[in-house]
Amino acid sequence: MLQAIIGGLTLGSVYALIALGFNLTYTTTRTLNFAQGDFVSVGAFVGLGTVGVLTAALGADAVGYVWFYALAAVAAALAMGVLGLPLYLAAIRPFAGKPGMSWVVSTIGFGIVLQSAALSLWGLGARMLAPPFGDEVFRVGEVGFRSQELVVMALAFAILGGFDIAMRRTALGRCMRAVALNRDAAALMGIDVPRVMALAFLASSALAGLSGVLVAPILSASLFMGVIIALKGFSAAIIGGLTNPRGCMAGGLLIGLVESLTALWSAQWREIMVFLLVILVLAMAPNGMFGRKLVEKV
Amino acid sequence: MRTETATRPAPFRPAILRAVPALGVGAALVALALTLTNDFHLYVAFMAGVYYLCASGMNVLAGYAGQKSLGQAGLFAAGAYTVALLTTRLEVSPVLALAAAPIVAAGVGVLIALPSLRVKGPSLALVTLAFGLVVEKLVTEWTDLFGGAQGVYGIAPLEFQGEPFALRHWVVLVIVLAVATHLLLGHLLNGRFGRALLALQSDEIAAECAGISVYRYKILAFVVAAALCGLGGALVAQQNQYFNSDFVTFHLSVFILLLVLLGGAGNLYGPIAGAAILTATEVFLAQWPSVQHFIYGSMLLFALYLMPTGVAGTIARVLPRKAVAEPVVTGAPLTLSRTTDDPAGGPLLEMRDIAKAFGGVVTADKVGLRLHAHRVHALIGPNGAGKSTLINILTGVIPADSGSIRLAGEDITRASAHSRADRGIARTFQNLRLFGAMTVLDNVLVGAHARIGATGREAEAVAKAAAVLEFVGLAEHAQALAGSLPYGLQRRVELARALAGDPVLLLLDEPAAGLNPRETAELGQLIKRIGRLGVAVLMVEHDMGLVMGISDEIVVLDRGIVIAEGTPREIQTNPRVIEAYLGREEAPADDEADGKEEERAC
Repeated sequence: MLQAIIGGLTLGSVYALIALGFNLTYTTTRTLNFAQGDFVSVGAFVGLGTVGVLTAALGADAVGYVWFYALAAVAAALAMGVLGLPLYLAAIRPFAGKPGMSWVVSTIGFGIVLQSAALSLWGLGARMLAPPFGDEVFRVGEVGFRSQELVVMALAFAILGGFDIAMRRTALGRCMRAVALNRDAAALMGIDVPRVMALAFLASSALAGLSGVLVAPILSASLFMGVIIALKGFSAAIIGGLTNPRGCMAGGLLIGLVESLTALWSAQWREIMVFLLVILVLAMAPNGMFGRKLVEKV
Repeated sequence: MRTETATRPAPFRPAILRAVPALGVGAALVALALTLTNDFHLYVAFMAGVYYLCASGMNVLAGYAGQKSLGQAGLFAAGAYTVALLTTRLEVSPVLALAAAPIVAAGVGVLIALPSLRVKGPSLALVTLAFGLVVEKLVTEWTDLFGGAQGVYGIAPLEFQGEPFALRHWVVLVIVLAVATHLLLGHLLNGRFGRALLALQSDEIAAECAGISVYRYKILAFVVAAALCGLGGALVAQQNQYFNSDFVTFHLSVFILLLVLLGGAGNLYGPIAGAAILTATEVFLAQWPSVQHFIYGSMLLFALYLMPTGVAGTIARVLPRKAVAEPVVTGAPLTLSRTTDDPAGGPLLEMRDIAKAFGGVVTADKVGLRLHAHRVHALIGPNGAGKSTLINILTGVIPADSGSIRLAGEDITRASAHSRADRGIARTFQNLRLFGAMTVLDNVLVGAHARIGATGREAEAVAKAAAVLEFVGLAEHAQALAGSLPYGLQRRVELARALAGDPVLLLLDEPAAGLNPRETAELGQLIKRIGRLGVAVLMVEHDMGLVMGISDEIVVLDRGIVIAEGTPREIQTNPRVIEAYLGREEAPADDEADGKEEERAC
C-alpha cells in the first residue's frame, strides 16, 4: 500500500512536470502543445543517446554514471527546449490569439514529424536506461522502494518548487504572469509578448524532455511511450485547473496516486479509472478543482 | 472555427431541384465504381466513403456547433461492436444490425454529450479524448465481451441475391449512403438547424437569448456526429466481417477531426474535400513508407496556416462568388403577429420583489417593475445601480435570488432564457453580441428562430426578416457579414435581430452607447416607431437627451433600489434622483449626467 503510494507520487510528480508545461503555454498563449508526448519520448532518447556516447567515450563506472545521467537529463531538457522554438514558430505563432483550434492540428503535425524523424534515427524498439543509483531496493521497515523513485520525486519537487518561486519572484516570472493575465496590457507596458510566448514553449518543451529522461529508467523507453504520459499530464493540468500552476501540480499527484492505487487491484483498469476520474471531475467542476471560474459579463 | 464564406444556396429553390447536382454526382460515382475491377481501388473508394460519413457528422459537431471532439473513435467502436455482437451473439439479421448501429452510437453520443456540455475548449477536448480512451481500453481489456485484440470473427455482412456483398456492392452502398447524408445534412444545415448551431458556436448567450436552446442543440449535434460515426464503424466491421480493438485508437479520433479541419470546418463540402484528400494522401504516400509519416505530419503542420478555412473554404474563396446581393425581397411593412396589448387587469410584465446579490454586493433589492405594451420605458441610474443585472434577470441570463416575474399573467420566474425569448422577450446587449461571421440576414433569421418552428417555413421567415431589415434601414446590407459593418450599423443589426422574434417586450441595454449624435437621434425615432408597433420597450440608457426625449415612463434605480418612477418631467425635478446622480451637497453641475460614479457627500 505505502509502496503503491510512493510509486504513485513518483509518476504523479512526472505528470505534474508535464502539466506545468501545459499551464505555462496555455496561460501565455491560450494554446497547448498536443505533441508534448513526442517531446517526452524524444527527450528520453536524447538522454539515452547522451549516456551511450559518454559511456563509450569515458568508460563506465558507478560513480561516473551518476554524472552521465545528470548530463543526459540536462542535454534532453536543452535539446527539447531548443526544439520548442521551431514548434512555437511553425505551429503556434500563426494561430495564437485567433479563434478556433487550428493549433491542435499543427502541433499534432509537428509531433508526427518529430516522431518520424526520431524513428528513422533510433528505430522502433524499446530500450532500458539504467537508473543512476543502481537497481537495488531500499527497505524501510516493511516498505521497499527503488532509488530511481526517490531521485525522480526529489528532482521533480525541486523543479516544481523552483518554478513556483521563479514565477513569483523573478522579473521574467512576473512578465509571464502579466502576459497570462492580460496580453494587451502587458504589451502596452513594454513586455515583448512574442518573446515571452516563445520562452513559455521553450520551458514547456524542456520540462517534457526532462520528464522523458526521468521516467525512462522506470518504464522502458520507446518512441511511443510519450503519448499516454503526456495525456495524463494533460489530464492533470485540466482537472487541477489549467490556469493554476499549483493546481496542475496537485492534479499530477492525484492522477499518479489514482493510477497506482487502481493498479493494486487490477493493472488493466488503471487507465480506465484515470480517465473516468477526469470525466467525473470535469462534469462536476468544469474549470478543474483549483481553476478560476471565468465569469462572463453580459 | 469560423468560416468567412457563407455557402448558402438561394433559399427559394425547391428542395428537389437543389438535390439534382448531388444526385448526378452520386450516379456518376456509382457508374465509375461499377467499372472498377481492382480490389485495391474498390477498397480505397469504400474507405473514402466511410471517412466521408464520419467526417460529415463530425462537421456538424466541430464545424457548425464548434465542439471539437477528440473521442470519435469511441463512437466508431460503438457502431462496429453493435453489428459485431448483434450478428455473432444474437444472430440478428445483418440489415437490422446495420440499422441498429447508428442508433446505439447515438445513445452513446448522448452519454458523452452530457459531461461535455459544461466544458469548453481544451477541457472539452480532454473530456471527449478521455471518453475515447476509456472505450479503447474497455474493448481491449474486456475480452469476454469484445474479444480484445483477438477480435470478433464472423460478423454477418449484408447479402445481395443470397450472396454476401462483394466489395463493389459495398462501394455502391457507401456512395448511396453518402449522397443521402449529404442531401439530408445540406437541407438541415442550410436552414434553421445550421443557423442555430453556427449562432451558438459564435456566442452562446446571444443564441440563448434569441430563443435557441443551446443545451438541446449541442446534444443534437453530438447525436448526429455519433450516429454517422457509428454507421461508419458498422460498415467497416461488416465489410471486413471482423473487428478488433486495434481499430479503436486515439489516432482514429484525431484523423476524423483532421478530415473536417483540413477539408473545411463549417462548410458543407469540407468533409468531401477532407475525405478525398486524406484518403488520396494515404494511398499515395504508402509507396514510400519511410517518408510517409514525415510528409503527413508536415501537411498537418502547414495546411491550416496556408488554408485557414480548409480546402473547401479556400476553393470557395477562389471561385467567383455568385451575384453577391441576391436582393432581399421586401414585402409588406413590418407588423408584429402577436397580440400586443396588456392583458386584462394588469401590466404586460410585472416584476415583484426581485432580489439579487453577488457575494456581499446587493444589485437588486426588492425591485418591482411594471411594463406596459405600446409604451417606451427607460431605466436609469448611476453606474453600478443594477440596471444591467435587472435586464439579465428579466431575460433569464442570471437567476434572481427571490421574487417573481409574470409576463402577460404567466409566471416565468423559473423559465429558461430561450423559452422567455420564445414567449416574446427580446433584448440587445450592452457590449455587442452579434454573430459576426454570419450575414446580417442570417443574424436576423436567428432572431426569428423560435418563430420559424421546426418544420421550417423558411421562405416566410426570409420575407419577414426582410421586412425587419427594411424597418431598421438595413435592407441594402442584408448579405454583408455582420462583423464587417461599421459599429453604428452593427448596433442596428442587433436591434433587428431582437425584433425578428416578434417580441412583446424589447429590452435595450444602452442602445446609444458609442453612437454619434445623429445616429442617436435616428435611434430615438426608431425606438418610438417600435413602441408604436405595440411592443413594450424597456431601455437602459445614460444619454439623458434620448431618455427624456422618447420615454413615456422612467424608472430610476440606485444601488439596487427603485428610488423614483414617473414621467420625464416628474423625474427631472425629483430631489432623490438629483441626489443620486449629483450627491447631496452642491456638486459641479453636470447636465449630461454621463453616469460616471459621482463622489457621494455622505
